[in-house]
Amino acid sequence: MSTAAPTLALDTALAACSVAVTLPDGRASARTIPMERGQAEALVPLIASVLEEAGLEPAAVGRIAVTVGPGSFTGLRVGLATARGLGLALGCPVEGITVGEALADAVLDEAPDACVLVLIDSRRGDLFAQTFQGRDAHGLPRPLDDPRALPPDAARAAATQAGILLVGDGVARLDLGEAGPALPDPVRVARLAGRRPADAVRPPVPLYLRPPDARPAPNGGRLWA
Amino acid sequence: MGAYRVLGLETSCDETAAAIVEADRGDDGTSGGQTLAQALRSQIDEHRPFGGVVPEIAARAHLDILDGLVARALADSGLALRDLDAVAATAGPGLIGGVLVGVMTAKALALASGLPFIAVNHLEAHALTARLQGGLAFPYLLVLASGGHCQFLAVEGVGACRRLGTTIDDAAGEAFDKAAKMLGLGHPGGPAVEKAARLGDPARFALPRPLVGRPGCDLSFSGLKTALRQTVERLGPTPPTPQDIHDLCAGFQQAIADCLADRARAARHLFAQRHGPGHALVLAGGVAANQTLRAALARVADEAGMVFAAPPPALCTDNAAMVAWTGIERLRLGLTDPLDFRARPRWPLDPDAPPATGAGRVKA
Repeated sequence: MSTAAPTLALDTALAACSVAVTLPDGRASARTIPMERGQAEALVPLIASVLEEAGLEPAAVGRIAVTVGPGSFTGLRVGLATARGLGLALGCPVEGITVGEALADAVLDEAPDACVLVLIDSRRGDLFAQTFQGRDAHGLPRPLDDPRALPPDAARAAATQAGILLVGDGVARLDLGEAGPALPDPVRVARLAGRRPADAVRPPVPLYLRPPDARPAPNGGRLWA
Repeated sequence: MGAYRVLGLETSCDETAAAIVEADRGDDGTSGGQTLAQALRSQIDEHRPFGGVVPEIAARAHLDILDGLVARALADSGLALRDLDAVAATAGPGLIGGVLVGVMTAKALALASGLPFIAVNHLEAHALTARLQGGLAFPYLLVLASGGHCQFLAVEGVGACRRLGTTIDDAAGEAFDKAAKMLGLGHPGGPAVEKAARLGDPARFALPRPLVGRPGCDLSFSGLKTALRQTVERLGPTPPTPQDIHDLCAGFQQAIADCLADRARAARHLFAQRHGPGHALVLAGGVAANQTLRAALARVADEAGMVFAAPPPALCTDNAAMVAWTGIERLRLGLTDPLDFRARPRWPLDPDAPPATGAGRVKA
């Protein structure tokens, strides 16, 4: 499905800073810079240079796509705050794409009907997991379950089911061998955003999959019971 | 000459805010500015169960609401981004998860609209806010007292603050918060302690005045907090009565007022050695909302014939008008920042000042 206006896609959910612009005629410009940290410094200048390479003024952007997670909490907020700021300034829609959708989509290009398990290293001990099989009528990876956090043993058990294909940076973390790409491709993020029907668009809201680490103070911290 | 109009964003602690401030281009800042719009949401309710600000909860809340507040400030002012001259955001010091939300939003707005981006030091914003009201020229002696900081600064110009003294442990606002927590008064502590103190006798409990009379003008509040705890424990096994709590709050608040006043006198002396007489003493930061402390510092100014100034309480606690105003002060001097600016969780106002424990620190 083609889009009527250029789409700008951002991804800072994992260990990279990635930007793409896709044009209605099918052309695309994209850059991915691998980095563990520093996305907050790199992202906006990278957007400027990818737009320039595509020969576009910011005002020409008609849609913004951004990965909403799962991934690094700080990385998600860097991408989402930027995407939402751009959307506000440009008056254009901002659509969320999950990291799982973007990674599964790459595997489904090679094996269209496959069952794909996305495993993302949470960098906190457990893994974020979601299973997809084939694509739906709009061409989006079809989820078989909700994304969730799994302890390594449970993730390993899910990954060793017969016939399942693996993708994501969690695959290397569990030493499960070769897998699909570890990072979302921003061009794919832009194109996925164009496929979803308007009434099913995912808002640009983070998919943390984990509550904040915080415990209420016992007795509110008062000196007496 | 026209006007400068700057959008400011504040997300460094538990207030999310956007504001638009306007000032005359032909002025040097002493005529002040006008706040055209401001939208602010405090996260007090989200953090209350935890007895303090939880950084991850704060960062999540900032992202959820900041763009909506920017849209509201723009709508309320009747302006579009293209009518503005710059976008400024607090870029530190503060809780970095929240700071990044404000900085990225501001950078994105700047890129999309072609406006310059200005990275504002949150402490400088507090330091310059008193000028937003108009009539305040450099230099002046600033008492910056908030939940994260407690310092005496000679404010000599934009980007030119000299630290005369600082707390060596807790900030004054932090001391209020911890006292309120120990006494079961909840979060945030400053207003609760002040309210309870109105009904209490400040002389009933003897609490220490750390560092009072010592050379220099550093402050210390952590021993005062310990003394409060010991005083409560000495009251016996039964919980304190309401009157006990009122008296404890009154004594605690008076001790902080006495410490601040004594140390401010010492700072006043250091400031006068450098800048001579005839300048103002300015109180800023969230703690400046406390009427007892305001009165104590007003007396210190009065003793030396200094004009006393403190922004109204709504500009003392964290807000975005002070960020927008600082943006104007910097824009006037051509001080804008690149879009790869790195936000700074620690960002002392006076990089030449010797390190002191607690300086430039923000804690929950």
